[in-house]
Amino acid sequence: MISCLGLTWGVPGQPLTPALNMNLAKGSLTAVIGANGCGKSSLLKVIAGLQKPLSGKVLLDVPRRGNVAFMPQQQFMDRQFPISLQELVAAGFWGKNQTAQQRSDKLNAVLTDWHLDGLEHRPLMALSGGELQRSLLARLCLADAPLLLLDEPHAALDELGQELLWQHIQTWQTEGRTLVVVCHDLTAVRKHIPQALLIKSSGTVLAPTMQLINPSQVA
Amino acid sequence: MVIASQLWQPFQEFVFMRRALLGGLVLACSTAPLGVFLILRRMSLIGDAVAHGILPGAALGFWFAGLSLPALTLGGLGAGLSMAGLSAWITRRTGLREDASLAAIYPISLASGILILGMAGKRLDLLHLLFGSALAVDSQTLTGMLWVTGFSMLLMAVIYRPLLLDTLDPLFLRSVSRLGPLAHGLFLTLVVLNLVIGFQAIGALMVVGLMMLPAIASRFWSRRLPVLILISAAIGCASVWLGLLLSFYYSLPSGPAIVLVAGCGYALSVIFGPVHGLLRRPPLLSSQ
Repeated sequence: MISCLGLTWGVPGQPLTPALNMNLAKGSLTAVIGANGCGKSSLLKVIAGLQKPLSGKVLLDVPRRGNVAFMPQQQFMDRQFPISLQELVAAGFWGKNQTAQQRSDKLNAVLTDWHLDGLEHRPLMALSGGELQRSLLARLCLADAPLLLLDEPHAALDELGQELLWQHIQTWQTEGRTLVVVCHDLTAVRKHIPQALLIKSSGTVLAPTMQLINPSQVA
Repeated sequence: MVIASQLWQPFQEFVFMRRALLGGLVLACSTAPLGVFLILRRMSLIGDAVAHGILPGAALGFWFAGLSLPALTLGGLGAGLSMAGLSAWITRRTGLREDASLAAIYPISLASGILILGMAGKRLDLLHLLFGSALAVDSQTLTGMLWVTGFSMLLMAVIYRPLLLDTLDPLFLRSVSRLGPLAHGLFLTLVVLNLVIGFQAIGALMVVGLMMLPAIASRFWSRRLPVLILISAAIGCASVWLGLLLSFYYSLPSGPAIVLVAGCGYALSVIFGPVHGLLRRPPLLSSQ
């Protein structure tokens, strides 16, 4: 699904790691872990085609547009933006050809799915961090892409929200979607994600999560 | 009833008042969505930079072609766009902060505009260029304004959705569509176009006020984008109408009269507006 060939990224002249070569299979679920500033989010953007790599390339099996759903960190979102939760979520319909009835059914379904019923008309300003995060995830559901790139999707979610998230991630994977998830919570990574990409300035390692994260690190 | 007739009478009686009113109203309607989106995109100062940038272009147009509408418009358009573009390019290439880069553009543009006007020798009133004269809108200018504002509103309606998403969440839009940069470019062009066409009616510096003040004031009245745009247009139209009346009855310069009425609308909104106005509780936390 994703092939990185001699890939480096970062600011010009200062690549964050040595060149990265890796393949992520279709239907795989991969965590991206590493210290702050090691380039996890940037790698996600490079894969999504939103940032140019310094060298090398990323090849995808599918055309990027419409097939890659990228979920940015929510702190980049303007909370004063004058739209409602429903309008934010409905942006996931972009480029989809559906009747108004289909849209409204689907929209209601994902809102229920992410426990957002009754909040449809709330302005963004009046949402909690967790509610906003669940809205972004609901939008991701509507976008219905085979490749999902999630940047810290668990941030701001409470316990119930996190459970919801991991359930959905599992469902997405069983549906055959490919997922790459940036995640700080090593315990959760160890529990829910089979393989991880550890980014270090000395080199990048792709390995089963159980090998990369010792129980001692988690505790 | 005396009051009511006073509100209409000057426009019934004088053609130049009717032209000024019509031109001002369409300008207020077409700048409303532009102002609202400029604020949402955190580009409120771009309008000022462009308005200053228009000056040297319009002055050059005047130098070569005299007081001709197409020459002033084209000169202003070219200069305004290149000033906005130059400042964006410097920011992108050197990392100079955007506000600093814009702040550098203002005085350069203003000074070179004044210099060119001086070298042109002939007396184009600088005050006219800066602050305009709504009462001098002739039928040619009015026709131009109607075309430009009509086109501008139509194009805004077309790019509304991509522009909205590009403003809120550009990374998401870029992952599903290639329209983001296009919408941004068209939007900036419309801003310049409206400022250029507006500067002939109420002056280069005053038209920025008509674009931004109603838009900023509307933020205190609603949390919904379409409503914000409508409120902003309504405040703009009311300012044009009241401003022209003030200017008529008290012999005030029309541009500043319009902008100051809009300024009063802004002050009232800040104080009484239901969305986090000063008199409302609870106030918006500064952390947001």
